Amino acid sequence: MKKTIEITIDQVKVHVDEGSTVLQAARQLGIEIPTMCFHEGLEGHTSCMLCMVKNDDSGQLFASCSMPAATGMNIITRDEEIIEARRTALELLLSDHTGDCEAPCQPSCPAHMDIPQMNRLLAAGKFDEAKEVVMRDIPLPSVLGRICSAPCEKACKRNAVDDTVSICLLKRYAGDEGAGVGSRESGQAGIGNDFVVAIVGAGPAGLSAAYYLCDWGYRVRVYDKAAMAGGELRNPELFDRLPAEVLNKEIKLIEDKGVDFLFDQEISKDHIQSFSEKYDAVIVATGTATEPDDKNPEENKPPLPDAANIFLVGSPYRQTNMAVRAVGKGKDAAFRVDQFLNDEEIIGEPRKFNSRFGKLTAPEFDEYLKESNSDKRIEPDDPVNKGFTKEEVMKEAARCLHCDCRKLDNCKLRDYSEEYKANQRRYKSDERQLVTKQIHHNVVIYEPAKCIKCGICVRITRKYQEKYGFTYIGRGFDVQVQVPFRENLAEGLKETAHQVAEACPTGAISPHLPRPQIKI
Amino acid sequence: MELNRKDIDQILEVTGKEASQVIPVLQAVQKEYNYLPEEALRYVCEVSEITSEQIVGVASFYSQFRMEPVGEHIVKVCVGTACHVKGAGLIHDALGRELKLDGGRHTDEKGMYTLEKVSCLGCCTIAPVVQIDEVTYGHVSPDQVGGLLKDFEQNKESPKKGLFRRADGQEILGEIRIGLGSCCVASGSDEIRQAVEKSVQSKHLPVKLKDVGCVGMCHQVPLVEIVPVDKEASLYAKVKPGDVSKIIDRHFKPTGLLNRMSDRLMKTAAWLQDDSFREGIERYSIDYRDKPVSAFLDKQVTIATEYRGVINPLDLSEYRSKGGFLGLKKALANMKPQQIIDKIVESGTRGRGGGGFPTGKKWQMVADGKAEKKYLICNGDEGDPGAFMDRMLMESYPYRILEGILIAAYATGIRQGYIYLRAEYPLAVSRMKQAVEILKNEGLIGQNVLDSEFSFELDIYEGAGAFVCGEETALIASIEGKRGFPRVRPPYPAVSGLNKYPTLVNNAETFSVIPYIIKSGPEKFNSIGTETSKGTKVFALAGKVARGGLIEVPMGITIREIVEEIGGGVPDGKKFKAVQIGGPSGGCIPANLADSTIDFESLKELGAMMGSGGLVVLDESDCMVDIARYFLSFTQNESCGKCTFCRVGTKRMLDILDRLCTGKAKKNDLEELRNLADWTKKGSLCGLGTSAPNPILSTLKYFKEEYEAHLEGRCPTGKCADLIEYKINDDCIGCTLCAQKCPVDAIPFKPHEKHVIDTELCIKCDTCRLVCPEEAVIKE
Repeated sequence: MKKTIEITIDQVKVHVDEGSTVLQAARQLGIEIPTMCFHEGLEGHTSCMLCMVKNDDSGQLFASCSMPAATGMNIITRDEEIIEARRTALELLLSDHTGDCEAPCQPSCPAHMDIPQMNRLLAAGKFDEAKEVVMRDIPLPSVLGRICSAPCEKACKRNAVDDTVSICLLKRYAGDEGAGVGSRESGQAGIGNDFVVAIVGAGPAGLSAAYYLCDWGYRVRVYDKAAMAGGELRNPELFDRLPAEVLNKEIKLIEDKGVDFLFDQEISKDHIQSFSEKYDAVIVATGTATEPDDKNPEENKPPLPDAANIFLVGSPYRQTNMAVRAVGKGKDAAFRVDQFLNDEEIIGEPRKFNSRFGKLTAPEFDEYLKESNSDKRIEPDDPVNKGFTKEEVMKEAARCLHCDCRKLDNCKLRDYSEEYKANQRRYKSDERQLVTKQIHHNVVIYEPAKCIKCGICVRITRKYQEKYGFTYIGRGFDVQVQVPFRENLAEGLKETAHQVAEACPTGAISPHLPRPQIKI
Repeated sequence: MELNRKDIDQILEVTGKEASQVIPVLQAVQKEYNYLPEEALRYVCEVSEITSEQIVGVASFYSQFRMEPVGEHIVKVCVGTACHVKGAGLIHDALGRELKLDGGRHTDEKGMYTLEKVSCLGCCTIAPVVQIDEVTYGHVSPDQVGGLLKDFEQNKESPKKGLFRRADGQEILGEIRIGLGSCCVASGSDEIRQAVEKSVQSKHLPVKLKDVGCVGMCHQVPLVEIVPVDKEASLYAKVKPGDVSKIIDRHFKPTGLLNRMSDRLMKTAAWLQDDSFREGIERYSIDYRDKPVSAFLDKQVTIATEYRGVINPLDLSEYRSKGGFLGLKKALANMKPQQIIDKIVESGTRGRGGGGFPTGKKWQMVADGKAEKKYLICNGDEGDPGAFMDRMLMESYPYRILEGILIAAYATGIRQGYIYLRAEYPLAVSRMKQAVEILKNEGLIGQNVLDSEFSFELDIYEGAGAFVCGEETALIASIEGKRGFPRVRPPYPAVSGLNKYPTLVNNAETFSVIPYIIKSGPEKFNSIGTETSKGTKVFALAGKVARGGLIEVPMGITIREIVEEIGGGVPDGKKFKAVQIGGPSGGCIPANLADSTIDFESLKELGAMMGSGGLVVLDESDCMVDIARYFLSFTQNESCGKCTFCRVGTKRMLDILDRLCTGKAKKNDLEELRNLADWTKKGSLCGLGTSAPNPILSTLKYFKEEYEAHLEGRCPTGKCADLIEYKINDDCIGCTLCAQKCPVDAIPFKPHEKHVIDTELCIKCDTCRLVCPEEAVIKE
């Protein structure tokens, strides 16, 4: 019979088999301890140090993944010091992790649109799906495709070494030609509920908020002083670029979703007061008048009643080219209302930790071109009236460098960095690794600059006796994980590619194709 | 390259084809080809159990292995601590320029020379040192590197010339030190000095005369100390002027003269451990060291180094005649294993490798282990820059270590042992191998040792260059044929070590005190030292001290006694600033705490650490931020790369120190440095990482104002090249020497005019300052 050992973890006693680690004991109790280099079924390596816990008697921190449980141990798995230790470990790893989570275009878009995904679908001729992707963040793609100032294009990684991808016109094509209707999941979608939300203002912000709330099952009533929806989007200065029928078509789509519009309604402060009693929530999206001044919040308080269920959306656009920001803020207000009505913490649209490394260098551009092409940016003959042709769209979209990580949603480094609020820049050095991409494999792609040297791939390929597998090359800070003898990836991973990609805790080794079509 | 598969087959024939043999295989392949040709490694994988993952991982881990062919000659610049504080970095850069190495290349265009840094050549008294193949150049300065290479070129075909030279090719035979303490002077040392000068001049000897302070042997004055560069030093007491010439002849003349030496002189003199007359060829060995200053210093107590300078390392009968193997005999004949362990516990001995774990307790753990097999490992993987205690012990007292090993094995029930030592210590390797062979033939190692029931096998294992392998779990991984990754303890090796069997790992110095304890009794051993630290400790004393060398002192001695009395104080009229104890794991203790005693606890309290025993004296011209950076760059370079805190933490600390030393510091850098140091200490997996921040933490503690100055872009000592500028003052006589020597033409050639340095072009190589006869070049 196996000997058992009694140890105490977070004040709870547990009996484990002799030889168990502290981590195993904690998991037996259902206590979650973060790990990255640990992988069930492989020998331990004790590299990442995220699994650190504390011996409460000695105050010492140690790695729980490899520490054998010993009789009488008294372990704490979470306190301020442990959290700081884990955060510090993450920050150190991040300081040497060169890679983007989201492509830089996405966070620079005020509506946070998933641009690379749209591009991939457009390049593949999947226009309906491309539109769905756009609509998840921007319910007015044809409109914005004509008037957006496109801050995304300035952030495009291609900008530093070549010409930016023509994102705005691509989006316009998706909006004009795609048939998709995008949904956007919320935390606790209000499906089947009886909540009614009033929105004051039918400009881009109000329309955006209305679209998502309606999509999530809320009943939405939009008030506007004008005779029709659109707000500033109907500014005569835009007529040249934004024909009324384009705008009307997209508003119609929103109306068709079930949004009630009430026009010619001058809404006063008193109205809003009564709305806050009558409706479950009120969104005030009336434009500059309600925009709180970020710099002087006290001095510039909007003249509105102060009730918990009133949500302000500023549309700071004095110029219509920031319509995309109004759309983004409208969407954000929808999230806040949804969170409020579901008794969740009100944080707005969730934004996750995002690793980024800055501008591309010329040799790195060549690496990115392995997944793209070196074609020049296409300039359409008549950008204002016609935009791209179908062929042009597919070619231009194919210029996207796909800077977004393949493991956006299953990267342990990203998840833990979010959880422990790690600051990527804390230990930032002046030098960074150069990004390289090893693509000679039909299942996986390897980007060594994202590797955190946990060695799981080395251990898997060793365990399954790959002829080459992965090995460590060098030591210390400069250590690299590579296929021995500079053999290519296909030689290194003959049998274990899927396992290795799945087990890699970062986006360093990830499945080649397909990228997630639409992420959840 | 044409690969002869038969060569590899032969190698594998000798080493075996097991996966655990990968390091010996690689060593043999490199010996054959001078580097590791990929084709050879691939072939090894084909025909042995070794996998490509393993062979590439291991070959790239250890610094001994080269993946690329190297030049015909290897130029090694020693960057050990003593050389560092004397400007080794500038010399390395100057050689790089001379050999036109750019773009990260290490080998010159013609494939003649490969430039390397080595962590310590153990020649601390002639620092800074450059070694080309087997020729060692001492006291090198940056302006001399051209001449140095020329000298090597001219003489490489004729190895007759001495192997220790100045950069201009002049041989270095050694140093003659004359005691000038007040007692010495009173006893007539001035006359001695004149006699020495006269003798040296008339014989045209390339030796340096040096005046040293009091050595604390006032009853033996006047003193003359002869320090031949490649041999152990000798101290002559009560010297008379008439003896001087003969003394000098004894050391600096062909060996034949030795026999004519007058016995009269030898009464109180140390017999040399003179390799040249014992083995004949050792004079040409690349491997030599700075031997201990003297066996006769009052402050020293010899246990590990007992009979220093008296016994021939490999003469077994001599060792026996001095009480050798009495301890083992006593143990085997009259003592039960547990009784031996009890004696070791009673002696209070603690591990000499740095950590200070009680030796008896460790033995007990191993003895208590129930397993079919147990192993013993003697840890001789000494890798600190500026520390070579273990090497000296293994080279000079191999039998003493082996006797300690045998006693330990008997006490703990072990039948198989390894001596792990650095392949970079060829003399130690050969001595230990020979000693083991001799003991096997004498029936002291093998079946039924000394006709007892006890049997023991012992092998030598050559490491391949990784500081981290001094850590016991990394060392074990290395013997198992893996990369030297440490692992979490527990389980301790005493419970689960080599191949998962209980393993006793002790340092070479620890083993070397065991025979004394058994022979003379624990009470004699523990009467020396302090409450918690018993016995003696061997240190390598170096840096800004008049007499550097190896010393063995009782625990509890003060830092001041070591620096001022044994070491003769700081030379050149400079002020004593601090001592760095414990190398890269240790810390800096300021001069105002010099009355602190040396033992495990007090050093730790002061923020330093016993470490393996490096002791570097620093003077007022040493920059403490630079010292911290120096040690951190060492540990950063030696980090195995396994755990996050050490791999990335040491690098980020080094980033900050680099910024501080180059004037690019950011406002909160000191705060972040401390924070990183704290976390690296708390979060690292093994001793290398947890102690790596010590040089930073201790200097931050005692010399914070220097850090603050660097934060403002100032280096108070002028050591940090990026924070200073070179200028020429009005003392310039227009001799043009600086203009001629400047490697980047930053000084226009203007005879008889005051010269001016173009600071835009200046690379701060220090050459102009060194060549200026008027000291008109200044750093600001």
